[in-house]
Amino acid sequence: MTYEELENKTRRLKSLFFLLFSTEEAAAKERAAQRQMLAIEELVHSERNYLRLLRLSSGTIRNNLQKLQPPPADLDSVFLDIEDVIDVSSRLLGLLDQKLVQPGDPRFLETLCESFLGLSSDIEAAYKEYLANYNQVTVVENSYKQKEALWNDVVRVIKTSAPEVNATSLSFFLVMPVQRIARYPLLLQTIQKHTEKTHPAYALLERTAHTSIALNYRINEYKRFREVADKYKKTETLTIKDKIYRLNTHSIAKKTARFGQHIRHETGMAPKLVDEEFDALEGFFYVLEHGILELLENVETYLYHLQGFLSCRTEEFDLDMDGEKAPICYKEITTALRQWILPTFEKRMRTLIRKPLGALRDLLVGPRNLIRKRLDKLLDYELIEAKSNLSYEEQDVANTYRTMNTLLLNELPQFTGVALQMIWSVLGTFSCLHRDLAADMEQLFQSFAQQLPHSSMERGAFREWAESAVLEGARRLETLCRSVEHTLNGPVVQPLSPSSRRRLKQLTDKHGSGKIYQVVGSVVGSRDLDLNLARGELVAIISEADTRGDKRRWLVDAGGPRGYAPSSKLIRYHQPTEDPPPSPQLTLPDGVTETRRHSYTPESQPMTVMSQPCFQVLAAYDFTATGNHEVSVRAGEPVRVLEPRDKRGNPEWSLVEARGGARGYVPSNYLAIAPRPPHH
Amino acid sequence: MASSFIYNLFIFIYIYESKSLSWIPFKIGQPKKQIVSKTVERDFEREYDKLQKLEDQTKKLHKDMKKSTEADLAMSKAAVKISADLLSNPLCEQDQAFLDSMTALDTAMRRMDSFNQEKVNQIQKTVIDPLKKYSGVFPSLNMAVKRREQALQDYKRLQSKAEKYEEKEKTGPVMVKLHQAREELRPVREDFEAKNKQLLDEMPKFYYSRIDYFQPSFEALIRAQVVYFTEMYNIFSELTDQIDQAGLTDEQRERETEAKLSELRALSIVADD
Repeated sequence: MTYEELENKTRRLKSLFFLLFSTEEAAAKERAAQRQMLAIEELVHSERNYLRLLRLSSGTIRNNLQKLQPPPADLDSVFLDIEDVIDVSSRLLGLLDQKLVQPGDPRFLETLCESFLGLSSDIEAAYKEYLANYNQVTVVENSYKQKEALWNDVVRVIKTSAPEVNATSLSFFLVMPVQRIARYPLLLQTIQKHTEKTHPAYALLERTAHTSIALNYRINEYKRFREVADKYKKTETLTIKDKIYRLNTHSIAKKTARFGQHIRHETGMAPKLVDEEFDALEGFFYVLEHGILELLENVETYLYHLQGFLSCRTEEFDLDMDGEKAPICYKEITTALRQWILPTFEKRMRTLIRKPLGALRDLLVGPRNLIRKRLDKLLDYELIEAKSNLSYEEQDVANTYRTMNTLLLNELPQFTGVALQMIWSVLGTFSCLHRDLAADMEQLFQSFAQQLPHSSMERGAFREWAESAVLEGARRLETLCRSVEHTLNGPVVQPLSPSSRRRLKQLTDKHGSGKIYQVVGSVVGSRDLDLNLARGELVAIISEADTRGDKRRWLVDAGGPRGYAPSSKLIRYHQPTEDPPPSPQLTLPDGVTETRRHSYTPESQPMTVMSQPCFQVLAAYDFTATGNHEVSVRAGEPVRVLEPRDKRGNPEWSLVEARGGARGYVPSNYLAIAPRPPHH
Repeated sequence: MASSFIYNLFIFIYIYESKSLSWIPFKIGQPKKQIVSKTVERDFEREYDKLQKLEDQTKKLHKDMKKSTEADLAMSKAAVKISADLLSNPLCEQDQAFLDSMTALDTAMRRMDSFNQEKVNQIQKTVIDPLKKYSGVFPSLNMAVKRREQALQDYKRLQSKAEKYEEKEKTGPVMVKLHQAREELRPVREDFEAKNKQLLDEMPKFYYSRIDYFQPSFEALIRAQVVYFTEMYNIFSELTDQIDQAGLTDEQRERETEAKLSELRALSIVADD
């Protein structure tokens, strides 16, 4: 090969190289781009369908419902806020259509994000009102359901107005905005997942996805705000909570003061007994302090575990089942829970509970220190109080003590009173936060209620169904597993090494071929008399149980060493159907016998074939002639050896006459000698 | 990706330049005849790839679900501790109204905890255990794929050996060796073909089976949460009506808290001298 030829070949190789490499890369990029486009189309297509159904409900269905005699009450209130939602959705789609860009175009993503961001404040305004008033829709629909005749009419109207949709209630349509606003984050995040970071619109897409979450946050907040405001308008009866809020600092101060007074009256004013009043206050303070510290610690533990829960992203592992209803619903629910519902809860916990408790704890320091100082001063005071004549310093000490004591006696009750009120309101807030969390989740679940099969099942019946379905799945899995193990982990079909062949012969001779097993996986013995065996090793079974009758431990012969091996690692060894042809040598009268491996001749004495009438020569194996000097023979076919060597004297070929008189050469070691059957 | 690229590269070099570039050392042990067509090999890889991804996801989901339910249980226990510790604190004994409300809070927390435990048990049975069982199939499957690969290597080796003899001059001993080689080759080839076919059949079936297998799990997971949050709503709306001041927005709450803190800070005993 010349240098030029080499160069050409190398150049061709290089271009092949690049072609291959870029094809692989290009293919992967193509797939990602495909998925991205599908995700974008999903968003747009679902938006169009959503708008269509909304229009259908607020147009056709509403008109038909109004024609009922008598028309259902409060019908207008049900459709009050849907117009704004329809408007903002059609504006979004309008912006997309206007730009005349197709989904396949990379600029489409940019257009989509810009349109969404541009309309985001209008989207917020429309959906905010809709979700805040949605309870009203449920209330009105329930009132329709109370009257059977009316409800039947309503369902009939719905079915005839929208025959292609499988709807059986008004809320089927009216819950859609609740669903839709919660779905935007997931749709946008799915597009983001399949978009390269280097895509020109990536930053914009990221911002849009964040905005969609923030929208949900604020819409939820507004909903809560409205709930509270509406509730406040109702009149309240005096309940426990109001009694507590009437409990203020003065009443606590009065209680403890009264206690002190009582003691003083009973016994006259003795310094020790004055201390009893103080001791009561002091004791109460320490109890309060302990309570606050413990509460704060418990709240922090709670928040710590909440964060742990939020760090799990179970919705990301959908097992590639994103075409199935249940996994999609699970994904949407978990995304909403993890990305704005629980974070809102956490934020409120921190602001309304953790922070105030922390601030309260910090304020405990002052009184605690002062109480300790007072004690020091008391000890000093007790030393000098008995004296009648006090020096200036001693008078100073006495005054300081009395001032501190009075101050604490006055203000500690106030402190503990206000602190208790704070703790109490924090606990009330704690309960309220839980209720709001549950309310948010309930609203979310409403939008899925109709989509899941079995959602109408009773709790108990559903549990039974789920558990039995899971058991069924486990059973099928086990069957599959067993069949995989059985068929695919079968005996190692490999040509045996010479040492394996020797072992096989040795064991077969000693124990019989029915007892030969092969080791499926390497075995390391752990007990006395256990063997170490390599994978593929051949052993013979001596006993299918150990001395204690354990059938999982078999006694085997490993061609010398004997011991126990686990039965699960042993498999019957079936000898491959065809051994390589043995080489019984046809010997010449003065020939030399060779060592035989699997001899077909009963004796190993040399014999001359032609002159022994009691024996015949057979072809031991099929042989197909590959040239016109050779002849084809079938295994078992008797042949007549004409010459035990070829024209050049090579004894490895023999000239034979086969059935039908055909003559030619066959390999000598394909021939075998066998006793001639008597009737021949 | 790199390995399949290199594999493709070898095949390409092979087919394209096999006669003239005989000095390339990759040729040793590789048969000339294409044993497994490229499309079949690609199909196999694609199916196995999907299964490997599925294995990875199943493991990750299992781990995350376990972590999530553990955090969930811990959170619930922490909530119970909040109310239990307060209830056992002598603070409560100051006022009957306090005590009543504290008891109500404690009862609510305990009830929520028991619902939470029920929810977690359901999830354990219908989601976490099935996930673990499903993961358990992959070791056998991976082993089977390895065995097929081994069989393929043996097949290629013996095929190449047979081809070597095929090319030689047809003498007696060569014919014998050729026959031997072919006889050795046959069971190995049959074994590989059986394994290959089985896997090509089973892999897509197994991959598809995940849908029916996990459908109940996802539904059960959602349902368990629906039940839990419904109970939470009932319990806490009742409790909130009992113990919380009505009609407060978050800002109003914050303002009230701040007012109380200011009242405390105004006390002389609080000021740190």
